[in-house]
Amino acid sequence: MLMLMPDPSDMSDLMQRVARGDRAALASLFDAESGRLVAIAQRIVRRRDLAEEVVQEVFVTVWQKAAIFDASKGSARGWLTTIVRNRALNLIRNDARIDFRDSDDLTDLGDRQGDALAAYNALSERDALRACLERLDEPKRRAILLCYVTGLNHGEAAATMRAPLGTVKAWIRRGVASLQECLS
Amino acid sequence: MTGKEMERVGEYVLGLLDDADRSAFEAEMARDPKLAATVQRLQAQFQSLDDTSTALPNNPEMWRRIEQQLDASPSAAVTFPSGKAPPDRAWTPLAMAASVLVALGLGYLAGDLTGSRQPIMIAVLIDETSASPGAIVEAFADDSLRLVPLEQFNVPDGKILQVWTLPDPDIGPISLGTFADPTTIELKGPDLPTPSAGQLYEITLEPAPGSPTGRPTGPVLVKGFAKPPV
Repeated sequence: MLMLMPDPSDMSDLMQRVARGDRAALASLFDAESGRLVAIAQRIVRRRDLAEEVVQEVFVTVWQKAAIFDASKGSARGWLTTIVRNRALNLIRNDARIDFRDSDDLTDLGDRQGDALAAYNALSERDALRACLERLDEPKRRAILLCYVTGLNHGEAAATMRAPLGTVKAWIRRGVASLQECLS
Repeated sequence: MTGKEMERVGEYVLGLLDDADRSAFEAEMARDPKLAATVQRLQAQFQSLDDTSTALPNNPEMWRRIEQQLDASPSAAVTFPSGKAPPDRAWTPLAMAASVLVALGLGYLAGDLTGSRQPIMIAVLIDETSASPGAIVEAFADDSLRLVPLEQFNVPDGKILQVWTLPDPDIGPISLGTFADPTTIELKGPDLPTPSAGQLYEITLEPAPGSPTGRPTGPVLVKGFAKPPV
């Protein structure tokens, strides 16, 4: 897979220029990151138009809030990713245009499982997260991937996995705790 | 970290906490930089999953719409009172206050804006000697206000913390209430004009049960200016 990763220091530099009101820097940031961010949002909101809306709003937020980006606390790419994920999750949890209770048809659920599994399979063999996910029991791993990659909540994950809600909650709780132990 | 704590960190990063639990957890992170760092580390590790997504082609139409929105709203640079970008050092306190919000994964700023109670203004109050954020004030349309201390204020016996705002320099500072126990506090302020962007909020140390003159008399512990949430 071809991935063009902008240099982290360039990204951080761009963010500082955006904070000073440099619109060309925002345009460069958009060119470098928007396609990736739309893809991340789309895994969660499913619809391309909504994913683009999420990313569009995030770029407006970044324009207004770039001054609060702190390079010592993490990468600019990571910051953007977190904001996009939060917006996308807010949208599927709160937006009336999306009702997942109506959309539990097999194709959609299958797509989500497919996306979650594809993300896992695409992780590099050397990735610490992959190594630690591999160590989990399959249902725990699958529940965590469904929630993280496609933004499902507990109930949706339970419906997708055809397992009782309490069981899925326990899988996730125990799974994320083991993951952290493994990663630390 | 206990197993329970790890479970909550994990559920937060997976986006599984409900609105109330998420706000409580973010307030905890604001008070506990170690917790915030733990969350950020796990977020970064999970982001290798985001990095597996295949970037879609850029959509120039999106950029056009972003530019339209920018033209309709002020740029980042004019948020500085001078109207031009100050030297880096001048906005260090702002940047540091902001870093707390960054540590919150921006849930606070970009978070749930559809909740029933949305502040119309937020001020991050800065301790000017240490240049670190000391409290967040959220002002609501009904004159009430929510205060989230980010620092343990040292309140000597016989003293009390008093919250002030300056809606109009001609009227002078107005007391919004007093508190002694620095946990999250809801204050019902007096009937005031709707808070505006740039309005000053501060907390002073006063003799209990409150300033004898009705004006701040004690030292200013933290202060900051209001901004509307996006």
